[in-house]
Amino acid sequence: MLALITRRLMTAIPTLLVIILASFFLMRLAPGGPFDGERPLDPETRAALQKAYGLDQPLWEQAWLYLSRLVQGDFGPSLVYRDFTVSELIAQGLPISLTLGGLAIVLALMIGVTAGLFAAVRAGKTADQTIMMAATVATALPTFVTGPALALFFGLWLGLLPVSGTGEGLSWLVMPVVALALPVSGAIAKLTRAGLATVLKQDHIRTARARGLSETKILYKHGLRPALVPVASYLGPAAAGLLTGAVVVETVFGLPGLGRYFVQGALNRDYPLVLGVVTLYAALIILFNLFADLVYGWLDPRMREG
Amino acid sequence: MAGSIPECGKGEAVLKPRFPLVVVLAIIVLALVLPFLLPWTYDQIDWDAVRAPAFSGAHIFGTDEIGRDRLARLAAGTRITLMVAIAAALVSLVVGIAWGATAGWIGGRVDEAMMRIVDGLYALPFMFIVILLMVVFGRSILLVFVGIGLVEWLTMARVVRGQVMALKQRPFILAAEAAGTPSRMIMLRHMLPNIAGVALAYLMLTVPQVVMVESFLSFLGLGVQEPLTSLGILVKEGADDMDMTPLGLALPGGLLVMLLVCLTIEGERLRDRFS
Repeated sequence: MLALITRRLMTAIPTLLVIILASFFLMRLAPGGPFDGERPLDPETRAALQKAYGLDQPLWEQAWLYLSRLVQGDFGPSLVYRDFTVSELIAQGLPISLTLGGLAIVLALMIGVTAGLFAAVRAGKTADQTIMMAATVATALPTFVTGPALALFFGLWLGLLPVSGTGEGLSWLVMPVVALALPVSGAIAKLTRAGLATVLKQDHIRTARARGLSETKILYKHGLRPALVPVASYLGPAAAGLLTGAVVVETVFGLPGLGRYFVQGALNRDYPLVLGVVTLYAALIILFNLFADLVYGWLDPRMREG
Repeated sequence: MAGSIPECGKGEAVLKPRFPLVVVLAIIVLALVLPFLLPWTYDQIDWDAVRAPAFSGAHIFGTDEIGRDRLARLAAGTRITLMVAIAAALVSLVVGIAWGATAGWIGGRVDEAMMRIVDGLYALPFMFIVILLMVVFGRSILLVFVGIGLVEWLTMARVVRGQVMALKQRPFILAAEAAGTPSRMIMLRHMLPNIAGVALAYLMLTVPQVVMVESFLSFLGLGVQEPLTSLGILVKEGADDMDMTPLGLALPGGLLVMLLVCLTIEGERLRDRFS
């Protein structure tokens, strides 16, 4: 187990480095810079600004400088939100994005596993087919459609939930989290259903039945755990999907999370901000994949070796 | 909704009214034909009927906030979305087959290295790199589908590799090898026809994914650009104006979801048949 963790972390460092450098040079290839506003600056001010932020140095030099600062936890200053460092912006946005993503995955797991279990027990019946149909529809629900639709219905028409911003209480979380969780819950329901369908046919289940165990015990104690292995391996891609979904949800519901900073930053050529967010996203996804592997190992002891 | 879904009999894969397929075909035909039938183009402004409600006069679904016919825009948007999707899916098909077949055919260390790369890429925040690409290279429509295609080839590569690995052990391939047929010929003549079915099924499944990604990018303003339009742009426009006319959101949103659901169902059916 420990070997798995260390090996994963060892591969994580070069992966992160590649992502950071790729985004770094991609950003710099872009025409236009952070100081090209609507009103052109006079050349002197421009040069001074470029110098102040080190943008007059050769590219490799800049990349090296960025990396060496990054190692010390310094993401640099934001070029567009002039009074903030990228670290401050991240500190502000990260909790919102993490709350959204975390709650969404918990909700998706709850809905998905329950629905999948329910369907598998009634395999072949109308209930099974209805649930699987609903799951297929749910996976095809893009957050940029469900988000505005929810906002329109529950926010504008019924006036039950706030449409925008992080107002008081927790009610602002409901719609963004639901919009994010829906497609993931559909996929999880399908995977759980498929996993259980294969597991329940296996010998150890038949043995358990022959020994006279109750159906509930068979299902929860012997069936569910191996059946959830495919769900665990889906958690990594799901996390990546949730992060991208969060970009839309944060835009739709006007939440100051990381995703919004990312899109704004990319459009404004705010190099340090974009790099900081990409780095953080990459690190989060790698961490989550590691976590998914650990869950995987817990569910299926054979995996702990590899 | 559930009533129109064909019942799946035991062991019977043949379904009589292929509802999802019919829907997809209907959407494609309408998107292709409608622009020729309507008296308005998608970007033409009807100054006498700005914000016309649905079924008022000649505009069947009314007009948007600057007087453009909703139906014409829907057709044009669907057309672009499908075009981007098919092109991007083809890019993913080519890259996926090339990568997967090479890895599977050569095997050994090369295979392991190539598949490690695929595994690694799977875990990356790829969407963000694509967003960066769009920002950097000026959001041309060509780039939209090259970018998306390059993201979506991973599953294809895995599937094709698996198929090639399995085929490699089959007697007819071994015989061809023993007879001294060059690798390239074996690939083209014997392997490709045998992986075509599965590849096609996954191509079908890639299409809705690409539709989703394209709409996502366009929704954020990073994909297809005005004056061109796509379903993602229409959803965005509808969402911005939804308090005035919910129809503006409901039409493209509903169409997009319907398209995605039906494409997914057909793709999954095809996949289940081949594997």
